Amino acid sequence: MSRAIFLVELRLRWRNAALAALGLALVALLVGALYPSLGNAVGKIDVPSGIGNFIGGGDFATIAGWLRAEIMAIYGPLVVAGIAITSAAATTAGEEESRIFALVLAHPVSRTKLLLAKAAAVALLVALLTVVLFGGLLASVAIAGGGISAGDLAAVSVHLFFFGLVFGALALALGAGTGRRSLAGGGAAAVALAMFVVNGVAPLLGSISWIDYLTAFHYYEGADPITRGVHLAGIAVLAALTAGLVAAGAIAFERRDLRG
Amino acid sequence: MSNAAIRTERLTKDYGSGRGVFDLDLEVRAGEIVGFLGPNGAGKSTTMRMLIGLAAPTSGSASLLGLDVGREGLTIRRRVGYLAGDFGLYPQLTGSAVLAYLARLHGNVSHARLVELAERFDAELDRPVRELSSGNRQKLGLVQAFMHDPELLVLDEPIAGLDPLVQRSFHDLLADVRAQGRTVLLSSHTLSEVDRVADRVAILRAGRLVVVDTLAHLKALAVRRLEIEFSAPPDPAEFRALDGVREADAHGTHLRIAFEGSADAIVKAAARHEVMGVRSVEDDLEDIFLRYYRDEDA
Repeated sequence: MSRAIFLVELRLRWRNAALAALGLALVALLVGALYPSLGNAVGKIDVPSGIGNFIGGGDFATIAGWLRAEIMAIYGPLVVAGIAITSAAATTAGEEESRIFALVLAHPVSRTKLLLAKAAAVALLVALLTVVLFGGLLASVAIAGGGISAGDLAAVSVHLFFFGLVFGALALALGAGTGRRSLAGGGAAAVALAMFVVNGVAPLLGSISWIDYLTAFHYYEGADPITRGVHLAGIAVLAALTAGLVAAGAIAFERRDLRG
Repeated sequence: MSNAAIRTERLTKDYGSGRGVFDLDLEVRAGEIVGFLGPNGAGKSTTMRMLIGLAAPTSGSASLLGLDVGREGLTIRRRVGYLAGDFGLYPQLTGSAVLAYLARLHGNVSHARLVELAERFDAELDRPVRELSSGNRQKLGLVQAFMHDPELLVLDEPIAGLDPLVQRSFHDLLADVRAQGRTVLLSSHTLSEVDRVADRVAILRAGRLVVVDTLAHLKALAVRRLEIEFSAPPDPAEFRALDGVREADAHGTHLRIAFEGSADAIVKAAARHEVMGVRSVEDDLEDIFLRYYRDEDA
């Protein structure tokens, strides 16, 4: 990996990630502050399981259920995957479309090295988001009166980190493999949306409910890390998927003609 | 050890429907400056992109400084400076940040050298790239191509967008490069750009090499014109009959002759009459090249 490339990537892209991280933390604080009055008042609502799956269960009576529904089911994954996807698409296909690769790759750096440095930078941005969110969740639970251990909050943040890596790696691979930013960003977002829907409806599908195993959401929150801690097998699947996508992207990138 | 800085053998990039570069055999000797000419779309940039490793050939081979472009691209890029015909710079970064970044990819570029080149081209270093004109971006492109003092420079349209003063700086720099025995391949679609600097020119048309020769030789081969003033109206038919004469037209006492090769027969024929004056007119350089661009269309 090239340190120079890694540092330039961070310099170019940290601002968006920092703003998103700040937003995540503020929302977490707000949600925590609202819990004593709103969450307890709503209590456990009885929603059809098909809908409950989409909104994190619908149990607002516990702080874990409340955070799951308000942040960890939709908002958190949306922001983290969103930043991962847009950064990864911009740093690969975006730079190629702007003819920056025609400049950079005329210097002595291999394409694989370039891509790995970019992947590492995207990973660090996702880490920044999830670490700041973890801080926000800690404060949120404290304001709400406690009820989730710091360990479990760290666990759900770690799961979200690896979840974000998968979509960053997907956009990176699509961007490196095609050189088209819209395809990289749009393709990865479409896959994320499809996985979200499949994850939501899978429990209703009876004999084919196993298709949930094909979604990154299953490995992110299927083992309920916010109450049960880190689920290593789930993280291993997300990490392996990330590594596989980056490797596929690197192979495609090495073989392709670049614009410029 | 080969004396060729660039050698291509049947180098081909076939994009289909007749587009691309076909069976290119080009040799650029170490220490020479070669102008790579051709109309837009002739395949100059495609050839250069294959040389630097941004695109892979469909068939054939190419080597730079004796190294195969497919297998030893990294080593080649350490020793070669490349300016793409169409390149981008990070719009948010300043010129100096972009150059410092690219210099770090090399690892052995001195800051002093960067500053010296930037001053030579009067490049804007302190403003973000997005605020720079295309000419000022081109200057940064030139600095990054020269900054590591490469043995070989591959420059695609290097003076596009530069004002005449900076063009002069560029030509001065090329003179230094030549004096140091380094090699340059530079492309252009106009001859006047390379006329002052190139030892030889290679002309590409529709993806194929039409001619590689010295400019002096190409000019010698070109059609030249003589205008002769006689004391009495001449008979153009007498001159049309001479070897090498393409056309001869008389207007009063004035005779215009277009010819190839030696002027000897014409001068001797004219000497049989009373000659008041003689003027030699060379074909415009661009006309010579336009002929190469067009010739084989027929």
